[in-house]
Amino acid sequence: MAQGSESAPGELGVGLVYWSALDPLFEAGPETVAVLELEPQSLWEKAGRSGVWQYRANEGLLQQVARFPQHKLVHGIGQPLGGTTPDPVEHLPLLRHAVDLLDPAWISEHLSFNRVEAADGVEEAGFLLPPRQSRAGVRLAADNIACLRSALGRPVAFETGVSYLEPRADELDDASFFRGVAELADCGILLDLHNLWCNELNGRARVADVLAGLPLDRVWEVHLAGGMPLSGYWLDAHSGAVPAPLIDLAADIMPSLRGLRALMFEISPEHLPTIGIDGVYRQLEELRGLWALKPPHGTPRSVPSSPAQARMHAGLSDLDEARCWEHALVDAIRGRSTAANAYGSVAADPGVGILRELVGSFRRASLVRALRYTMTSLLAGLGSEETQALLDAYVAEHDPDPYPAVEADQFAGFLKQRAHVLEQVPYLAETLEFEHGLLRATLYGVGTDVEWSADPTAVFEALDAGHLPTDLQPMHSHIRIG
Amino acid sequence: MAELNPQPLPPRVRVFLSRDATYDLAKMQKITATVLGRLGCEGCHSGHVLDFQTLQDFVVNPETLEVREGFVGPGF
Repeated sequence: MAQGSESAPGELGVGLVYWSALDPLFEAGPETVAVLELEPQSLWEKAGRSGVWQYRANEGLLQQVARFPQHKLVHGIGQPLGGTTPDPVEHLPLLRHAVDLLDPAWISEHLSFNRVEAADGVEEAGFLLPPRQSRAGVRLAADNIACLRSALGRPVAFETGVSYLEPRADELDDASFFRGVAELADCGILLDLHNLWCNELNGRARVADVLAGLPLDRVWEVHLAGGMPLSGYWLDAHSGAVPAPLIDLAADIMPSLRGLRALMFEISPEHLPTIGIDGVYRQLEELRGLWALKPPHGTPRSVPSSPAQARMHAGLSDLDEARCWEHALVDAIRGRSTAANAYGSVAADPGVGILRELVGSFRRASLVRALRYTMTSLLAGLGSEETQALLDAYVAEHDPDPYPAVEADQFAGFLKQRAHVLEQVPYLAETLEFEHGLLRATLYGVGTDVEWSADPTAVFEALDAGHLPTDLQPMHSHIRIG
Repeated sequence: MAELNPQPLPPRVRVFLSRDATYDLAKMQKITATVLGRLGCEGCHSGHVLDFQTLQDFVVNPETLEVREGFVGPGF
């Protein structure tokens, strides 16, 4: 074990947020990676059999994660703690199952919101968005934390969030908001230092000021990551190595984190090629150097894991205030009028444009993931501009869904109504029917018959190479998907 | 009728091919499995997901038919 990286009882050590692409590092054992943090929703699918949406977990992958020798943590990314609207899809049994299997010392979730109530149900925001940062927001978050703690029987920590919005005169400053939530909820803090650094770079509070205002003895976990620039902002994109200034900042704060038990590096799988597995290994070494700077582990602050009866703090006016904020922000991102909303001025915030772009990129990624050959056909057949215009029209008409299969099912229906597009691109109709058929089988358990006019493997080979199939021998075949 | 059942995730999706299919069944199985294997939710996060841009950079220029290789991420 590297010098200075020893962990006291209760301390977990240095680790990684789990993606299967990182398996070689987890397989190398606890001396390489001491902690595995799973985002359980990353192993879920959404299915709509019998007319009711359900989540289902990839149990095989979950069991594989459980077998890794590292300490486990659970970090939620689907039911954040800062919002007023619960997930309408039943999710607690799956979360409980993951918690029972992985036995984390605590659970964390984002201090954000990601859905709003709509006239016909619930509208997904398509991204983790900054919550109402006020006394009302503090009370709301504290109640959500108490509910999660009660439901899962584990201590809960919230993640200090990123916000691409400007500070507002009608809200608490970042430190006061985080402190308020931690103290009212009597919970832990997952200090995401890259988020705070993004916030400073993007015009919000200085990291030093936020840290000075936080109850640092409540910090159980620290996240570090890399980011990327976009339109003058620095994004929390989990896109590479931790920037050197952030390493220095982390080194300065580590001696103050008496309650710290885990230090985690985050990198998204699509960005892994940027630094490679070797690069992640070097990041772990660097984080072990930071780990050695923390003070001797003090007596952990006692926080409830499952209070007998949590007192609810938020009143109806708090919920109304938070809902109003949430609708203002989602409406602004979607380009809808916010004139009648008390927080409608958020529409003028330049950060809304960044959020709109990030929601869009996530939605486009879902379509590429679940309708890969269809999207390739569109780009090769229509070109970038016309494909982008088609996607813009789709995004304007339809709400997002964070699950790629559901988003793609919706887009497939949209595209099938555009006969002129299907006729314009060779083999697009058959390709779409095939991919959509696979989606519908897994989402709804319904069958599809696909008629091919050429060898589908030749069609897909061409698309794999990035161009439209040409000069294919006519050949009829039939595929039934069920 | 030949049957493919490449679905790695429960429940099973079954794919049947007609007898007149003379193409490579193994390739078809791999293609089907590739599509179905990419449906897991990577969840909402605060990142900037570049899958579409990656594909866009990879697709051939339709005028020159020249393959322009850009950043190719996992899965491509």
